[in-house]
Amino acid sequence: MRELATDLVLALNWTVFGYVVVLDLTMLLLVLAGARRVAAGRRWKGAEGHDEIFASPLTPAVSVLVPAHDEEAGVLDTLAAALGQRYPALEVVLVDDGSTDRTFQLVADRYALREVVPHPTAALPVDGEVLSVHRATTGDPLTVIRKTSVGRRSDAVNAALNLARYPLVCMLDGDSLLESDALLRVARPFVEDPTQVVATGGVIRTANGALTDRGTVLEPRLSRNWLVRIQAVEYLRSFLLGRTGWADANALLIISGAFGLFRRDLLIEIGGLDPRSLAEDAELVVTLQEKLRRERRPHRVVFVPEPVCWTEVPETWQVLGRQRKRWAHGLGQLLWKHRRMMGNPRYGVVGTVALPFFLLFELLGPVVEVVGLASVVLSAGLGLLDVGTALLMVGLALALGTLLSTTTIAVEEFTFHRYRRGRDLLALLAAGVLENVGYRQVHAWFRLRGLAAALTRRAPVWTAMPRVGFVGGTPLPDAPADAGGQQAAGDQLTRVRS
Amino acid sequence: MTTAAGVALVLGMVLAGLVVVLLLAVGLQHRQRTRTQARDARRRAELMPTVHALLDDDGDDPAPGPHVTSAPALLDELVLDLLPQLRGSDRRVLQRVLATRGVVDRAAADLTARAAWRRGRAATLLGSAAATDHTPALAACLTDRSADVRSAAARALGKAGDPASVAPLLVSLTGPRALPVGVVGMALLDLGIPVLPALRTALTEGSPPARALAAEVLGVHGDPLATSGLLALLQDRWQPTEVRRAAAAALGRIGSPLATAELTQLLATGPVPALQRVAAEALGRIGDPTGIPTLVSGLHATDPGVRAACADALAALGDEGRGRLRVLAIGTSPAGRAALSALDAVATARQWRRPVTPR
Repeated sequence: MRELATDLVLALNWTVFGYVVVLDLTMLLLVLAGARRVAAGRRWKGAEGHDEIFASPLTPAVSVLVPAHDEEAGVLDTLAAALGQRYPALEVVLVDDGSTDRTFQLVADRYALREVVPHPTAALPVDGEVLSVHRATTGDPLTVIRKTSVGRRSDAVNAALNLARYPLVCMLDGDSLLESDALLRVARPFVEDPTQVVATGGVIRTANGALTDRGTVLEPRLSRNWLVRIQAVEYLRSFLLGRTGWADANALLIISGAFGLFRRDLLIEIGGLDPRSLAEDAELVVTLQEKLRRERRPHRVVFVPEPVCWTEVPETWQVLGRQRKRWAHGLGQLLWKHRRMMGNPRYGVVGTVALPFFLLFELLGPVVEVVGLASVVLSAGLGLLDVGTALLMVGLALALGTLLSTTTIAVEEFTFHRYRRGRDLLALLAAGVLENVGYRQVHAWFRLRGLAAALTRRAPVWTAMPRVGFVGGTPLPDAPADAGGQQAAGDQLTRVRS
Repeated sequence: MTTAAGVALVLGMVLAGLVVVLLLAVGLQHRQRTRTQARDARRRAELMPTVHALLDDDGDDPAPGPHVTSAPALLDELVLDLLPQLRGSDRRVLQRVLATRGVVDRAAADLTARAAWRRGRAATLLGSAAATDHTPALAACLTDRSADVRSAAARALGKAGDPASVAPLLVSLTGPRALPVGVVGMALLDLGIPVLPALRTALTEGSPPARALAAEVLGVHGDPLATSGLLALLQDRWQPTEVRRAAAAALGRIGSPLATAELTQLLATGPVPALQRVAAEALGRIGDPTGIPTLVSGLHATDPGVRAACADALAALGDEGRGRLRVLAIGTSPAGRAALSALDAVATARQWRRPVTPR
């Protein structure tokens, strides 16, 4: 009996170890493919300049949709950044989704809102009751919808879609800041290839700790909070490189809900966002991919590997846990809903590679990691653990994970070089190591709970993240990077509280 | 030590070594970049007086002096950065500087380079330098194996401004290595009004994508001579929807009342809402009151987009159109709501245009 248990535990240990190595190697391959693409982009930016797109009468107009629930901390900055975009034709549709704070009041005061009769351009079903529609009388192309909340972001986005007037729609989180030419960057693929491009997204980065002024990120800086720093590395790896690799394989499944651009007619065609989904951004892209591939309509989902949007990330384990559980729950829903695409060659690389990858390494990843940790404990309990060998294996897995993080940071430094202070770079590198010790394991536990919620078909609950927000201040002239006295300068600048 | 442990040890050491190498590379790169940026800024500041002197020159001197030809390579970058912002004689002066320094010849030679980024960069540079001597070589790049290079060549042809580029640009819209319509469209717009006759010809002789794009560009230019050709496309029910949509939009932009009858018919009988919406928008732009009855009927369409477009068009048709909207803006029917909403939009626009009274 003991022999059987020994064999089982050993087999389990080796399986888990092999899984971790394969996962990290796959990620490393994706990162290297993405790095190649990003590096090529830096050498030559391509044919189209942003100035030409800005001046072109063929550039399609964009409706920016901003669902906001209790976003008083940062909504004015988000709106200032969206309305201040360097883009030839845009409107912003803000949805005050049942806020219980001063979100609406702040916007109403700043933009002198006036109640108007709604001007629907579509009739998507919306569960929450639309209470009123307002328009800015300050000359800004801003429409505000007040509606009751049903606890789902998708419902607010669908309400905004019903009033959006332009051929492209951009979804933007209420706590995100856009770079001034973000829309130009992500709209470029639509301008160049308007018949095939159906969705585009850009790189999202963490705003916590950054110096900002009235919606503009003046200087990216790292927060002093290590949890945020680790997420900064995570975001870099995921957005900057992982998605670039998937996009190159024409198998991109996620355009971030924080900032993505879509063709409005297609969103209306698929009936808007799925009201039951907790991963509405991924769900939207997969639904589009499924429909267009099934109907054999040519399409491209493009990822623009340039930093375009800055967003707040959780600063506490509790909030992070809720967020990651929700993401895992949403992923479970998504893979179940689109299970017919899984492994189906009819859906090309999406069906045969991307979805199986998400199932094996994203959804089931936490199961393997938690089981692996349990099996190590069990081995130790049974006296089977060879401490030397175990430490070697753990060390190997850690080295692989650290290599992955360091490669990501190296690519960032060699290409975009957004973190100019040496101390930020050092902190990023340290966070890349720390990520593998503790954070990764706790993260696996959060995701496992999300998977359990998906398996038990628990009712989806969308919980808003408490916002810290962006604080107003007086901008200063640019301070040289790594210069002394930067702290004093920074204190007078606007800073995302961290 | 077991074999597996030995392998893990070796692998772990290799990985740790890679991490250390990467860390060192990151550190060195960070330091190097900071120094390079400072050096480039200093050199740019040193070269700017030379560039300003060139621009201040009256343009009579056909060849830049030796101080220009012997200046460091950073001068080329400065000139290329400035070129898109300049027009007229200033632009010509800087183009001559690039030619004199051999930048144009080197770029022309790079059009056949092995690396795609070099071919693309060369095409972009030739476009910025407005090198019309190289139109055939750039046109050949429209079928390059790299999509980025094809796009760069199209944009360069547009910037170079040679009207002979229209034909190869329109042909590049079809075939196994077809160019995106937006890229070709921007190039055609850059070529300006000298290409209008060729675009009018393309309305009848081009492929469907070429016809649609030609119609769109003619509309953006507001070319009244294209009206008859565009009307013919609109009337031809066998034309693809995209071609008819582009023709309708172009007619609206041109603003000729000759198109009102055809557009009202399209709005009344349009096979798809997308066409009806464009027809309504075009009628609003033309501003011909004879379109009002059909626009009023369009307010009762089932598609909310068509209703909204008709209401907006009526609001744009002056007092007569707005008068009809006021009559309809009663009740909660979809037509009434659309009318009310369009009037509301007009009122809101007026409110913010009103000058603010100082307190």
